[in-house]
Amino acid sequence: MNLNMKGISKSFGANLVLDKVSFSLHSGEITALLGENGAGKSTLMNILGGVLPADEGVIEIDGQAVGFSTPKESLDAGIAFIHQELNLINDLAIYENLFIGREIRSKWGILDKKAMIEKTEEVFSRMGLSLDPEAMVRTLDASYKQIVEISRAMLMDARIVIMDEPTTSLTETEIDRVFSLMRTLKKEGVGIIFISHKLNEVMEICDSYTVLRDGHMISSGSIGDVTTDALAKMMVGHDVVEEKRAVHKSGAVAISASSLSDGIFFNDISFSVRSGEVVGFTGLLGDGRSELFLSVFGAGTKHTGTMEIDGKAAVIHSPSEAVSLGIGYVPRNRKENGIVKDLDILENGSLVTMRSRKKGPFLDSGRIKEEFDKEKKDLSIKMGRNIDPITSLSGGNQQKVVLAKWLSADPKILILDNPTQGVDVGAKEEIYTIISRLADKGVAVIVLSSEAHEIVRTSSRCYVMYHGRILTELEGDNLNEHEIMRWATGAAI
Amino acid sequence: MEKTNSGFNFIKWFRKMWTQHPLFSTACALLLMAVLQIIALGFDQATFGEWLSRYVRNWINILRNNATIGIIALGMTFVIITGGIDLAVGSTLVAIGAIIMLFIDGSQTGILTALGITGVPAYMIGILMGLLAGLLLGEFTGVLITIGRIPPFIATLGMMKICRSVTQQCMQTINPSVPMGFTRIANFAVGRQMFMPIVYWLIIAFIMYWVSKHTAFGRHVFAVGSNERASKLSGINVNRVKRMVYAIMGLLVGVASVLQVSRIGAMDYANAGSGYEMDAIAAVIVGGTSMAGGRGSIGGTVLGVLIIAVMNNLLNLIGVPPFLREAFKGVIVIGAVLLQKKEKN
Repeated sequence: MNLNMKGISKSFGANLVLDKVSFSLHSGEITALLGENGAGKSTLMNILGGVLPADEGVIEIDGQAVGFSTPKESLDAGIAFIHQELNLINDLAIYENLFIGREIRSKWGILDKKAMIEKTEEVFSRMGLSLDPEAMVRTLDASYKQIVEISRAMLMDARIVIMDEPTTSLTETEIDRVFSLMRTLKKEGVGIIFISHKLNEVMEICDSYTVLRDGHMISSGSIGDVTTDALAKMMVGHDVVEEKRAVHKSGAVAISASSLSDGIFFNDISFSVRSGEVVGFTGLLGDGRSELFLSVFGAGTKHTGTMEIDGKAAVIHSPSEAVSLGIGYVPRNRKENGIVKDLDILENGSLVTMRSRKKGPFLDSGRIKEEFDKEKKDLSIKMGRNIDPITSLSGGNQQKVVLAKWLSADPKILILDNPTQGVDVGAKEEIYTIISRLADKGVAVIVLSSEAHEIVRTSSRCYVMYHGRILTELEGDNLNEHEIMRWATGAAI
Repeated sequence: MEKTNSGFNFIKWFRKMWTQHPLFSTACALLLMAVLQIIALGFDQATFGEWLSRYVRNWINILRNNATIGIIALGMTFVIITGGIDLAVGSTLVAIGAIIMLFIDGSQTGILTALGITGVPAYMIGILMGLLAGLLLGEFTGVLITIGRIPPFIATLGMMKICRSVTQQCMQTINPSVPMGFTRIANFAVGRQMFMPIVYWLIIAFIMYWVSKHTAFGRHVFAVGSNERASKLSGINVNRVKRMVYAIMGLLVGVASVLQVSRIGAMDYANAGSGYEMDAIAAVIVGGTSMAGGRGSIGGTVLGVLIIAVMNNLLNLIGVPPFLREAFKGVIVIGAVLLQKKEKN
């Protein structure tokens, strides 16, 4: 099935988000749809998926003009949209998820479990998978959940699959698993649209690419003809300067821990971070680093072991105690943990400091605004008015607001968990710069990330975790992507 | 030319408000009902002065009769914004009422009378005890919900059953009487109009409005309701916010209870306050507060109480049988939410 989108335009109010964009896909092709957040990728895909109507332009499938006004129509035409947030129900079995809304019934209206399981097995065998159709979705890891979504698309005979940043929360092995499935689909003649910020993955799996920037189609062609640098340049519109990591002057030990264990996620963890230092914690998904620092921050599991902050023994029971000890924490999964969608931008940006900025019993709104405006400028947050909803911002700018919320509290120790998740290339660089600037100001920064290059880029020292333990500490020449991967995958043991 | 132009602008403005402001349609409905109410009230008076005084008297009646629910609905707004609910308000109202009456009782059974305290000091102590009881009951509910991790619906359902039942049992043989002086709290009249409950309601509404908009606690209420996890990770003491919300709810039920006892001069432990929880919740919902938490406003709730009250009055004026009035309340709740929903898209 060949897809051709021609001259697609779309505007929201006065804001033109797509300007005569063209896009095509052949059967058996994997094409990358690239662009920074806000470039118009989602809008284009939502038009294809029947979520949004286009203002102008035509969509052709095998030369026939089509139009989708609902997601169902698009699905019926063989286009499956796998969203970043997976639409699976954890408490149902795999086969039930696959058939949800289209259950096979026997003539009395009773569910025909056997037929559904058979069909599911059929799809799995076609895709070369060995999964138990009756297993609960809850028990699957992120990659298999992704795979179940794809299976659902296959069950519906989808000929085009849109995958929106499928690898964001996956580990290397899980990514390989998804990629091999994508290759199988490709052989079956399915066309795949792969949206990702990870250019090395694009190089690995895709045949062709289309780059959007500010609603315009910048370039498209065969992957064989480009390099990651060239793609990155097209996406941001200028060279991505990979600044050399500055060496920070570090001061006294700001936080140290010895033999922290919670008996579930992490075991016997000891580390220390000096002020003015950026220290990375990395490992594969499930290594326990997020749980470790959630616990350190007082929001996770209870742990044994001791911690010292500024040389004084510290026991933290709750985030508010952590805040008063000068710890800041930018969590992973911005949507669930970072932003409060019903509060405006200013309120989101002052959520931490609000309670201490008072005039009598009331909020000192003048000071709150002043402080936020300063952070807004320092972090160059691109936004409208302070009272606009937080959801009106792009991912990168939302993340900056979450950062601003902490920076206005002047933390001495700042924990950043996956700080560039769902953030485009340009904003990523800016966040790295902010991290380095904070260290220069004497903040002890702890960066948690599963992306090795991010650790190498930001940190002067790094701990590699594996199954809840710190395996090694890398520094200087040893701190490189290769060495990190060797330890993180457990290959070095 | 000038005139058509301004007319056009009005339509544009109206459409904009209708689509963008979720409470605008509710306000319009209130206005419409107020107009219908004027018509229903009739114009058969001799002079405009007479008509006006009848009209004003009618309004004071409406507001006074709804002040109790109005005050409870203010607390309920905070509770619902945090994503919770309080089903116990009607029962705690009775329990608190019983406590107040035991203290202010002028006869031999009165606690304070036995100690030789009567009159205003006794009333003051009675009121304080009532408010304290409300605060403690609310705080206890909050502790059940936060530390006990019981869903608000279940915790308050339990409290609802406990409070009324225990009160009825305890008050079986005691029959306290409310002294005349105490009834003046609600029934104090200026120019034969008893509007004190309205004054209390409006003062509390104003305070609650300020708290919701201009204090850290107020904003935290919204934050917790919208995204509890992000709030917690921002160092907000989520449990404290929730406990305070239920404590404030209890305190306001205490105020409502003082008014109820003062206004009626007695309390029917089996029936007083029953259905108040649903009336308060209905007003909050009609006022545009989301049951899912995170969104809502005190102003909306006041509007919600008014719209239900005015509708009741209107139905009364045009002679709709009492049994049917509740149905109209149901229609208003569903209709208001439908209208607000449509505008969101």
